Amino acid sequence: MTEQASLRVAVDRERCQGHGRCYVLAPEVFEPDDDGYGYVISSEIPPALHDAARKGAGNCPEDAITISDVPS
Amino acid sequence: MTDEMPDTATGLDISGPPQEMYKLLRDHMPVMPIDHEMMQGTSVALHDDVVFVLQHPEIFSSDGAAEIGQVRPLIPLEIDPPGHSKYRKLLDPLFAPRRVADLESSTRELVNQLIDAVIDDGACNFHEAIGEPLPSQVFLTMFGLPVERTAEFVALKDGIIRPDGTDVDDEARLREETGQKIYSVLQEAIDERLEERRDDFISQFLDAEVDGHRLTTDDVLDIGFLFFLAGLDTVTASLDCMLAHLAQNPDDQRRLSENPSDIPAAVEELLRWETPVSGVIRVAVQDTELSGCPIAKGDKVAVNLGSANTDERFWDDADTVDFDREVNKHIAFGGGVHRCLGSHLARMELRVCLEEWHRRVPSYQLKPGTTPQYTMGLRNVDNLELVWEN
Repeated sequence: MTEQASLRVAVDRERCQGHGRCYVLAPEVFEPDDDGYGYVISSEIPPALHDAARKGAGNCPEDAITISDVPS
Repeated sequence: MTDEMPDTATGLDISGPPQEMYKLLRDHMPVMPIDHEMMQGTSVALHDDVVFVLQHPEIFSSDGAAEIGQVRPLIPLEIDPPGHSKYRKLLDPLFAPRRVADLESSTRELVNQLIDAVIDDGACNFHEAIGEPLPSQVFLTMFGLPVERTAEFVALKDGIIRPDGTDVDDEARLREETGQKIYSVLQEAIDERLEERRDDFISQFLDAEVDGHRLTTDDVLDIGFLFFLAGLDTVTASLDCMLAHLAQNPDDQRRLSENPSDIPAAVEELLRWETPVSGVIRVAVQDTELSGCPIAKGDKVAVNLGSANTDERFWDDADTVDFDREVNKHIAFGGGVHRCLGSHLARMELRVCLEEWHRRVPSYQLKPGTTPQYTMGLRNVDNLELVWEN
């Protein structure tokens, strides 16, 4: 079995409306800024945090979070 | 409020649990004309239509959508983009999670004082004992209005949201009268802060700058009017709805008493299922359509958040209250640019109240012979009578 690659996670600042679900459900991956809008702490997410990243992204009411493979 | 007042979300009379009515609307009238003396327009019940409306303010405007006794614009609710972001930039940090965290310990103390007052009785009207005073006092303190006058402010708020008039015209007149009283209460507080600043929102608004511009005192008045109404009733409705559910569902209740760490997830799931603020209003600024049904320019659109949050086309097991739900993208706080500004504050108040209540009153039920009656639009339960053994 090959080692899992990192994932790239991004919050679309245009779509994000500051519901705050991502950083509450996955604080290892997302943080609030001073206004309460979410951002990604480190855009490349190691395998150990993939589930957390997916949980945060999947619970965004505005579908503002995208997850993609890091191009090799 | 007259008996014929339609629900803001549906245009229908609902005083019991509304979820079955929402399903009927989705299945048979997902886009339904409302022709009522209080409201002419269209109600929208499907999740995807609701989200579309919320996310497209350029088609579905908030300008002029609300009629709650204001003679001036409600800021920022009635301001569409791009002007809207100017105000949100100013207001968002005041309600951001970091600021809200600072209020948690005083909120916990307040909840405990309110519980102290009734716990030995083994019974209370939850709405009167906790649901109404808790958010009102938290808000008045933050905003800078005197907490000793809570009862007076609650009455003013009710005069707008639930005017006790003889007919529609009389209610409109009462709303306007009450609105004038609220403007004058706010003006008085603003005048005091112009003399001397304090540690409160009104003072911060007066000193705030956005893009190099100060807010005018009129801006502060307009923001204050909306906050006054939004801050005093929505958390009350949420607390009432949640306790009414838990009182009638002993398994859910026991779970929260035994596992307080499940409370945050329970808050989210009960926000979804109950959707205490059942709907919001928008106005179409062009001819358009939803689910193939025409919406004319100028039509009011009643956006049914409660139906969207229980739409089986979108949700797995939509009818099951499940605190373990993996994905919960509910829109109980709305969505799009007008997402509820106070949502982080509301969540903190709801969590802290459920934590303290279940720690001190781990087992309770409805007073035998009573049935919760929900008010419409904002779903308060004025007759929420709870009993417990000491």
